[in-house]
Amino acid sequence: MLLAKILNPKSETTMGTLTALKDPKKAGPFDGYAPQPFFCELLGTGEQPSKALVAIWQRLQTMDVADLLRRASDAENELFNLGITFTVYSEKDAIDRILPFDVIPRVMTAKEWKSVEAGVIQRVKALNLFLWDVYHDQHILKDGTVPRALVVGNANYRPEMIGYNPPCGTYIHINGTDLVRNGAGVFHVLEDNGRSPSGVSYVVENRHMMQRAFPDLMQGLRIKPVSNYGEMLLGKLIEVAPEGISSPTVVLLSPGVFNSAYFEHIFLAREMGVPLVEGRDLVVESDRLFMRTLAGLKPVHVVYRRINDDFIDPEAFDKSSMLGVAGLMRASSKGHVTLANAVGTGVADDKAVYAYVPRIIRYYLNEEPILPNVETHICGEPEGLAYTLANLDKLVVKPVGESGGYGIVVGPKASRAEIAACRKLVKANPANFISQPMIDLSVCPTLNETGVVPRHVDLRPYAVTGRETWVLPGGLTRVALKEGSIIVNSSQGGGTKDTWVLEEGHS
Amino acid sequence: MSLLARNAEHFFWLGRYIERAASISRIIEIHSAHDRGQDDDQSWAWLVALYSDDELFKKSHTEYSLKNVARFYVTDPENPGSIVSALRAARENARALRAVIPTEMWNQLNEFYNGFLEIDETALDLIHLSKTCGTVKYGCYAQLGVIESTLYRDEGERFFRLGLMIERADQTSRLLDVKFAQIATRVAGNPQVADATFWALVLRSAAAYQVFRRLERKGAEPASVARFLLLNPSHPKSVACCAAEMQRVLHELRSGYGLRQTNFALEKLDVLVDGLEGASRDPALVARLHTVNDWLQLSLADLTTELAVRFFGAEPPEQQSQSQSQSVA
Repeated sequence: MLLAKILNPKSETTMGTLTALKDPKKAGPFDGYAPQPFFCELLGTGEQPSKALVAIWQRLQTMDVADLLRRASDAENELFNLGITFTVYSEKDAIDRILPFDVIPRVMTAKEWKSVEAGVIQRVKALNLFLWDVYHDQHILKDGTVPRALVVGNANYRPEMIGYNPPCGTYIHINGTDLVRNGAGVFHVLEDNGRSPSGVSYVVENRHMMQRAFPDLMQGLRIKPVSNYGEMLLGKLIEVAPEGISSPTVVLLSPGVFNSAYFEHIFLAREMGVPLVEGRDLVVESDRLFMRTLAGLKPVHVVYRRINDDFIDPEAFDKSSMLGVAGLMRASSKGHVTLANAVGTGVADDKAVYAYVPRIIRYYLNEEPILPNVETHICGEPEGLAYTLANLDKLVVKPVGESGGYGIVVGPKASRAEIAACRKLVKANPANFISQPMIDLSVCPTLNETGVVPRHVDLRPYAVTGRETWVLPGGLTRVALKEGSIIVNSSQGGGTKDTWVLEEGHS
Repeated sequence: MSLLARNAEHFFWLGRYIERAASISRIIEIHSAHDRGQDDDQSWAWLVALYSDDELFKKSHTEYSLKNVARFYVTDPENPGSIVSALRAARENARALRAVIPTEMWNQLNEFYNGFLEIDETALDLIHLSKTCGTVKYGCYAQLGVIESTLYRDEGERFFRLGLMIERADQTSRLLDVKFAQIATRVAGNPQVADATFWALVLRSAAAYQVFRRLERKGAEPASVARFLLLNPSHPKSVACCAAEMQRVLHELRSGYGLRQTNFALEKLDVLVDGLEGASRDPALVARLHTVNDWLQLSLADLTTELAVRFFGAEPPEQQSQSQSQSVA
């Protein structure tokens, strides 16, 4: 079967250029690959495939499935031994698990990336302006552009932040934007993550793994580097240090070894070259933050914290928290220490506020959103609720307060009983839900025991912001390894891939 | 920038646990390969006595057979003094240090530990036990080698060495103590058992047999073995050698890193070194050996407490600690 026919059975136009791709006498991993009706990340619709992407397809097609599988298994063993893992603790033991890793990369051209990058920068800029506004004059609430109740009634809205001026006006220093691509190949924003987005360590480690395991696949390709993430992040965190501190001390605050993302905390501290601290290593005295070193207390100026708002300061929030530092909020509001991300950003990445982000972008920047939202119905609003209840079998219903893919009901794939249960939940507490049409998520060639198969993917680019925003080229590609599944979360059978952004010049 | 106090504590315990795993595995390796003279079911009681584990051992076992004792000290996760527990604790301390240690250190320890978890019952039988423990020993030595070759030599490395040396001195002292106790009971029943083979085994357990042969022309007898393992200035396992190394490290921490609080530990070490010198002049050392060892082990525990209070933020103990702390809080 020819490539053009695989991708688009009706098209004959690209046949000439693609006939050379396949040796009919020799079986290749892509022989049974049939992505239709979805958009394929490697070859798009097959109409005008990028030469560079076709070349990568060709390289993969000459490889032997058994060989690919062997190398994939070696790669996973290596990830395990290197401790690029998350840890599940039982009473007796600590069990390390790797995030499943798929060796077939997701590839983007420079042109595709440029628009994603611009869209992410625009969105982060608007969200930071929104946060400044809702914690200062509240123009956007006063004129009704965003409903007041949605913001000030939100559990993640922190009145403690009113009037606080974060350095550079930045609240969201580290952001992850979840993107999906529909059947036409158009990127849409599915979700903003402006609290403590995780996963960036896998972006860098997946690249290093591919460099070791598949040098032949990367040979001659110019791929935008990702290894400088730690350096860039540290630079941005130094930018937001309290005024007047010439050589600020930055630390990474982790809940500790029992946190499932502990590897990422290690990775970030190591790549930035800063201490990895826990709450018990820090102390606030006279509204200033210090860490306990062998030589006594030493001042700390910027905290990249991987602890949620609730647990960060038992004095200000959850009193039972053993993870945080008593008085940290005091030190922060006095301007002696900068927290990244700032407290209270959860009001900007809320699933209900999400629906308003295109309006928020127009409101503050007077620009059209570069990356569109997925059409969203807010069940807290009468029209949204009515539409959702009438179309439960066609919609994806999501609880607004959850993350990790929990509580999502995919209407077209749900049983009658599941839909009835969902209806009950939505009716009982409409404000807790939004609904979206089911998106034909794009697919990426993915290796399984039989060869290469299409599996749905999303993309999470990471943006870091000090004075300006920098976006790590590519981001984390998560892949739903189960056939037909569109839920890419690792807790639900998802894996990751290396994400390549080709340099300009590759056509 | 000065090292986080908690990191120093993890370094210290990493050193102790690696050395503990190395020491137990070497002792079992040597004895299971050479000590074939007796095959009654109580012949391995001495190993349980070595680590003062009688109470815990008796909870789950009645016989001090090779099989029971081997399982208790190699793979039993319920025994905090087993090899698996020591390796696990070493790995958990290393895990907390991953942001500051070289990747190679974690990688080696991780592969080593994961490989160790796969051993089964056969690995503990008479035929394989020595080899199994030998593999663990080399795994620990490899970690020490990776550390020597790659770890940045700052305060953290110094605290690692302090942990290593305290544990090593403690292990040597315990080995001597239990072997002399064993001889005392055996001599009562059968005066011929305490022969050269017996002392050769003790020396081999401390990796000291060959060099002892080279230096001591007269051959092994109780007084010379005890003196060698307690007082030799150059053998890595001798208590005096470990103490000298600790003094060197503490001086480096004081002068190189401005850590004046090391004075307290240095004073305690001075007392320990003086005590060792006193013992070296004692003509009745063999008779007093148990008292000397008891005092040594308490001094080492006391030194650990001293470091914990001055550097790791531990509360000062209300009274003198009577037992050795086994784990990180």
